[in-house]
Amino acid sequence: MPRSHFCRSADHDLNRRAFLGGAAAAGATLAADMTQLNALAAPDLSKTLKKSQKRVILLWLAGGASQLETWDPKPGVSTGGPFRAIKTDVPGVMISELMPKMAQRMKTTCVIRGLDTKNGDHGGAAKVMMRGRRDEAALRYPDLGAVLAREMGLAESKVPDYVTFYTQTEGRGMAPGDAGFLGARYAPMELTTNNHPEFIQKLGDITDLDHQERADLRTLLSKQFEKGRASETLNSQNEAYQRVRGIMASEKLFDISEEPQKVRDRYGPTQFAQQCLIARRLVEAGVPFVRVARAWWDSHGQNFETHQEMVPELDHVMATLIDDLSERGLLDDVMIVTLAEFGRTPRINASLGRDHFASAWSSTLTGGGGIKGGSVYGKTDKEGMKVVAENVDAGSLFATIYSAMGINPHKNYYVGSRPIPLVNPGVEAIEDVLK
Amino acid sequence: MRLLSFLIAAIVGLNGATAFAADLLPESKPIPDVIDHYIQAAITEAGITPAGQADDATLIRRLTLDLVGRIPTMAEVDAYVKSTDANKRVQLVDRLLASPGFARHQAALFEAMFNPEGSAKNSGAVREYLIDAMKAAKPWDRIFREVVLPDESDAKLKGAAEFLRARVADADKLTNDVSVTFFGVNVSCAQCHNHPLVMDWTQDHFFGMKAFLARTFDNGGFLGERGYGTIKYKPATGPERTAKMMFLTGTVVEDAANKEPTPAEQKAEKAALEKAKAAKTPPPVPKFSARTKLVEVALKDANADFFARNIVNRMWHRFYGAGIVNPLDQMHSENPPSHPNLLNWLARDVAANGYDLRRLTRGLVLSKAYSRSSSYDSKSLPDSKLFAVARLKPMTPDQLATSLKIAATDAATLEGKPEDVEKKLEQLEASARGFARLIAQPGDNFQIGVGEALLFSNGERINKEFLTDGNGTTLARAKAMKPAEAVTFLVKSAYGRSPTADEAKVLGDYIEKRKGREAEAHRQVLWALVTGPEFRFSY
Amino acid sequence: MPAPSPDTLKQAKDFQLPYIAFGVARLPESDTVFLGASDFKVYSANLTAGKLEPKELYAHESYVTGVALAGKNLVSCSYDGRLIWWDIDAAKQIRSVEAHSKWIRKVIASPDGKLVVSVADDMACKVWDAATGKLIHDLRGHPEKTPNDFPSMLYAVAFSADGKQLATGDKTGRVVIWDVASGKELSALESPGMYTWDKVQRLHSIGGIRSLAFSPDGKQLAVGGMGKVGNIDHLEGKARIEVFDLAGGKSQWMYESDKFKGLVNRLEWASDGSWLLGAGGAGEGFFLFNDVSAKKSLRQEKLPMHVHDFAINADATEIVSAGHNKLTIHRLG
Repeated sequence: MPRSHFCRSADHDLNRRAFLGGAAAAGATLAADMTQLNALAAPDLSKTLKKSQKRVILLWLAGGASQLETWDPKPGVSTGGPFRAIKTDVPGVMISELMPKMAQRMKTTCVIRGLDTKNGDHGGAAKVMMRGRRDEAALRYPDLGAVLAREMGLAESKVPDYVTFYTQTEGRGMAPGDAGFLGARYAPMELTTNNHPEFIQKLGDITDLDHQERADLRTLLSKQFEKGRASETLNSQNEAYQRVRGIMASEKLFDISEEPQKVRDRYGPTQFAQQCLIARRLVEAGVPFVRVARAWWDSHGQNFETHQEMVPELDHVMATLIDDLSERGLLDDVMIVTLAEFGRTPRINASLGRDHFASAWSSTLTGGGGIKGGSVYGKTDKEGMKVVAENVDAGSLFATIYSAMGINPHKNYYVGSRPIPLVNPGVEAIEDVLK
Repeated sequence: MRLLSFLIAAIVGLNGATAFAADLLPESKPIPDVIDHYIQAAITEAGITPAGQADDATLIRRLTLDLVGRIPTMAEVDAYVKSTDANKRVQLVDRLLASPGFARHQAALFEAMFNPEGSAKNSGAVREYLIDAMKAAKPWDRIFREVVLPDESDAKLKGAAEFLRARVADADKLTNDVSVTFFGVNVSCAQCHNHPLVMDWTQDHFFGMKAFLARTFDNGGFLGERGYGTIKYKPATGPERTAKMMFLTGTVVEDAANKEPTPAEQKAEKAALEKAKAAKTPPPVPKFSARTKLVEVALKDANADFFARNIVNRMWHRFYGAGIVNPLDQMHSENPPSHPNLLNWLARDVAANGYDLRRLTRGLVLSKAYSRSSSYDSKSLPDSKLFAVARLKPMTPDQLATSLKIAATDAATLEGKPEDVEKKLEQLEASARGFARLIAQPGDNFQIGVGEALLFSNGERINKEFLTDGNGTTLARAKAMKPAEAVTFLVKSAYGRSPTADEAKVLGDYIEKRKGREAEAHRQVLWALVTGPEFRFSY
Repeated sequence: MPAPSPDTLKQAKDFQLPYIAFGVARLPESDTVFLGASDFKVYSANLTAGKLEPKELYAHESYVTGVALAGKNLVSCSYDGRLIWWDIDAAKQIRSVEAHSKWIRKVIASPDGKLVVSVADDMACKVWDAATGKLIHDLRGHPEKTPNDFPSMLYAVAFSADGKQLATGDKTGRVVIWDVASGKELSALESPGMYTWDKVQRLHSIGGIRSLAFSPDGKQLAVGGMGKVGNIDHLEGKARIEVFDLAGGKSQWMYESDKFKGLVNRLEWASDGSWLLGAGGAGEGFFLFNDVSAKKSLRQEKLPMHVHDFAINADATEIVSAGHNKLTIHRLG
């Protein structure tokens, strides 16, 4: 039986051939190479292998937004809270009155109302909902961003593959981006203090030309060392350095002052709005995965006050993002996902709060070209206590996202000899919401 | 050796290999000779030519990185290269094995092995325990005992308890991590169903191992163990089963006295636990300790084969860049070793010699296979499984950060009385630790991310902590030098060798072009050197 | 007549409710109370019955957050934005007014019963003719957004004892004093400690001024809410009352309970000014009796539920409290 090994996918074989070819070319004298300092980058063969570039913006509602105050309102029952449900542009679909703008855009969006994900602990649930499954004892799975980075990222892309904003501190440690067994190559660029990535700007003590030529010098030294040597790790190091200048050039993507004032006003002044505008700039430039974590929804006390404060912002920003992507012709390639660790209990506690609840909550999928807009999948009972039809777990949600992105969810990665499918065996996408 | 025969039979079935225990090379043969015998045999069979031996400068770099976790100083390289002593390699290895850096570096590697997902809480205590263990040359079976049966009343062994403590809340993880770390066996797949690919591992194996470990609990910050407790599980098909304590080989430990405690016993137990909690002491050890039984059964007779083969494979991986079995946690009959006889011989040897890690290490790094060049002068590289060419090993975070410190430190300050130099190197190592935390720990199929390249390209810490030109630094020293001299000095500081003619020209031109700001040029050249793969890897 | 001492406080009754009661009003000289509830309904109940059996009067379309007695009428407010007038004697609805575009937080009546005042999250305080339901003033003195660009909320309103002044209090801790007759803003005060904006950890806010009460002599204003909160997902700030001298516009006393955490949802002074009672809660509830002139706490009493509102009878011998799934009766004197 031919045995498969990790990192022997078609892409890697191709990279390897490219590498060996490059190594042979480097056999020419070093001095000759000096004349073409800027033309050293290996040809990007993998580029042609990638699908039409699909991208994802994940709006991570950290802490757990309430499904009852967003996508699955239950007005008039004891668990329903004070908000009304309003009609949307999809006949028969009602959402919370806190989301009037999304109510006019539900034709773009699929609501998954039957999430039953079993885990009500922030840390554990964040892992499950970022990875689509629970880590095994000795196997850390890559999260959604790392998988998208690997599937959709270009080998020598000039932009980052996976960017995550999480600029609040609460819950950040519980839901860091994590490439799991895919390793540092697919680790996210994490923005945790402000909207400007670390190390993206050259220091003041070196000129731009020196910065460039210093890197070229490094490339030359590397070429020399590479002679007669082959290693995936070595390739990855060179690839990483080759991407530096491109990523530095992408610094302006993080600068919303590059946007017309009109566009900035449209998104609004809040941090979440600004980060979503940056996310739009990033996906527009080809970044395969951007997460904007909006913390912190953990309304154990004053749930309704909290949601009255935060949901209108979500409504406005999400609607603006949809409009903006749509106007730019990007909505068929960019999927917007709303997701969290879990939802919130239908039961209202004495502090007028709602607690953690993973048994019947909601997520949404918008755009990306593969999702049926206007569809609603899953039904919860009258009081929102349990899923009564079309139950969805984290695995099938992820399978659905992968399928909608054109990625076969049963595709294998390899850890050693062990094949690891993107979703666990037996888990299937929700065909009903796929186009 | 029933099990061994069984394993070999399995391998025979798979590989058509013909060796039996009796056919192994004699026990008395030195480890390096045995390694070279078996490695060469496979190379010959494959009909390829192995890479030649690495030159002296490369070898001392490799040995120093592998054994003490840093690049050698310029003085160490010079002395080694210059020496004509036929025995210089053995002397170097023995000097490094005896140096305090050996204990520190090996401890760091064991810590990473214990906590592959990153440093655990109380990592300071873990490191301290491991450094002490390495310094005292504790045998591997003793470390195993101290980690799985920690004596928390002994303050010096505090760190040994952290392996269990970090996992005490998750018995499944504890079960798997013990199996992976000490036996090279990942049974997590068998948690939910019999392993789909590997006949060896059934749910009985997973829950059998779990039965040894699941009685462990936390009692006010101390580890306790119940004298009773039963693991039940639901197989993929069929009725619920009760797990027996069963080691990976199938050896079952009976616990005939196991029964649920009476209410009175429960009360007494609770009182004893509360008392221990209040007194801040470890709770009493039960009459029947399942964990003790696990240690006994794992080290008994043929069962010990898992234990021995695992440590040999892991140590081989440490020095040769890949295991004889890969991945390290997949030691089972369907994933055969590349060199079964070599693995068997080494496992027998380490067990027969009291699991002496230092002896094993010494043997591993004195072979010709170890000292091969990592460069191969042909387009078609031999199968990496043959160990015919030395592997590139990405540095660990500690190795990289400490080596950067050394490269950035004026070599002249790292000469002199050995104990002074040792002290200085230890200081450099300590001062590099903060930066090391920014670097990813390499694992199998390690890929360096753009994050590291960005950090090195634009991070202020690189300039502040490494590429400074304050007193006693490489860059300060280079200031007074002419371009050609500076190039030689910088290349030697970073790579431990002289520049090639091409390098001398290119780097010299680079500095010449920046006339009037040579100091900046030097810094950029040093940057290009240390960010290059020749620095980033042990090669 | 001096008010009875808080030392004499005793819980007399404790009734279970199948909903959260946000508002309570007591018909003077009677044992009849009206409740506004989380099941959107307005109830009347007789307190003398052994078993409390509230009778449904009518319903709003969202939480009923306040009930006020204006002469013979009951006026209720709700998150549905409506005020509903109910004729108690005739037992029928008189009118339903679409009063505000957002949640109505509170409704009160003037001491003479001629005016009804509502405050809502559209940040308007509206003064209504109690008899006709006509809008008299639409008072705008609170910003619609918090300094952090999120919607603000207008939680609290109170009349002075002479009915000449109104005070309104919002989420960020701003209080505005109004001249009722002219509708003019007289002054503004700030009690910023009532508002916690968590910029670093959670990027949202909690708190707000939840209750206001003029002293009987009209010289002081008590402001109720919650002190700074570490974890704003929980009501874990100390119950907080700040008292202002209205003439000087200065804070005179800031009291934080050393025993209870949570919001002070309701404040009322004894008619002789000898004590100020604050009630509220988080997971559970409390009464806080304070002697404001001596700046000291008189009594802190645990209640079986988070209290949203209470009604004190004229001689202050009985306090009826409404809150989370419970109604309690306490006696004084």
